[in-house]
Amino acid sequence: MLLDRKPRRSWGATLTVLALGIIVALPMVSQVWAHKVNVFAWVEGDTVFVEGYFPGGKKSQDSLVEVFNPAGTKLLEGRTNEKGEFSFKIPERTDLKIVLTASMGHKNDFIVPARDFVEVGSSPSSPPQSFAVSAKDSSAHPTDLSQLEGMIDRALDRKLAPVIKLIRDTRKEGPTITEIVGGIGYIFGLFGLVMYLKSRNKKRRQESGDRSLEG
Amino acid sequence: MHISEGVLSAPVLLTGAALTAAGVAVGLKKMDYEKIPQVAVLTSAFFVVSLIRVPVGPSAVHLVLNGLLGLVLGWAAFPAILVGVALQGLLFQFGGLTTLGVNTFTMAMPAILCYYLFGRGIAHKHSGVATALAFACGFFAILLSSLLVALCLIFTGESFLQAAKVLVLAHLPVMVLEGVVVAFCLAFLMKVKPELLGATHAAG
Repeated sequence: MLLDRKPRRSWGATLTVLALGIIVALPMVSQVWAHKVNVFAWVEGDTVFVEGYFPGGKKSQDSLVEVFNPAGTKLLEGRTNEKGEFSFKIPERTDLKIVLTASMGHKNDFIVPARDFVEVGSSPSSPPQSFAVSAKDSSAHPTDLSQLEGMIDRALDRKLAPVIKLIRDTRKEGPTITEIVGGIGYIFGLFGLVMYLKSRNKKRRQESGDRSLEG
Repeated sequence: MHISEGVLSAPVLLTGAALTAAGVAVGLKKMDYEKIPQVAVLTSAFFVVSLIRVPVGPSAVHLVLNGLLGLVLGWAAFPAILVGVALQGLLFQFGGLTTLGVNTFTMAMPAILCYYLFGRGIAHKHSGVATALAFACGFFAILLSSLLVALCLIFTGESFLQAAKVLVLAHLPVMVLEGVVVAFCLAFLMKVKPELLGATHAAG
């Protein structure tokens, strides 16, 4: 009885420590920071803005940003400032792959699809066909149209800014409690399975041992 | 401590995977039936502790606890860290699938070294010496992991000294903190379950 009690108490202590550890760790979840760099890019006018950050919002400062076209040619490169931001004029009206390399082996990429800036970019040089025709009919100046488009773009950028910010903030969130508790569950399940398999081997070995003794 | 996907070249990834496979094989062989629950508990600790960021320094760094895993589990730290890193990759998007081998090795190898270097010492009669050794174990494990990561990054064009400087400086607070954590954990284990530490080393 006495022999039985001691190990049970110490296992209890170990489990208490684990439980305490999880309780301490859980409140930190809302402000969790992880070990992964994120990239987010959006278009305003003819400029692409890139932001690099670690989950939880820490900025990825002085990180290398490279921009590639779909053919894999590097179009330009630069480094993020102290806010983790970098911006550049649209170099080519194709899908742009933005690769951010932070120190210590962290790297991630983000693709800005061509449709994000095709209309913005084409408006000053060549207005869409239908507009040009109607412009001729109504004898309005094309410059007015492009001015109008510019105004609409600016207004849209302004209106969309909070939405873009919301998206950026949402992407900064770290792992959720579901993922953390789920992970712990996987670990226990996995090692439970290992125990089960090992116990079957053990039993089989014992059985074969018994049989050889009988025989 | 987790290297992202697409940073390392194929030979480095393959070497990491091969070394990890060997380590895990040894670990599974040495893992006794009675030890499995203990491995599971420490794997969970390793998995969760990576979410605790150390808010000092220029970059995102977190606790690792590989020193503690090595000290308590010995070679079983290899499968434990592999499972932990795999789940961190799947659920938290740390590292990646192709870098699983390299990332496991850079964290598990220092754990094994700590096990051999400090495993006997922490059972020292003088509690002051034991605490100092436990601290050194936590500290050294992170230092060595940083250097191993720097070594992997050489092949990407970053020079070793430059990469090592960044990594070691960024992890300096983590080293100190891990030293303290390992010292506290061992003091606690010595009180409530001293046979756990002694038995581990005798078995390994």
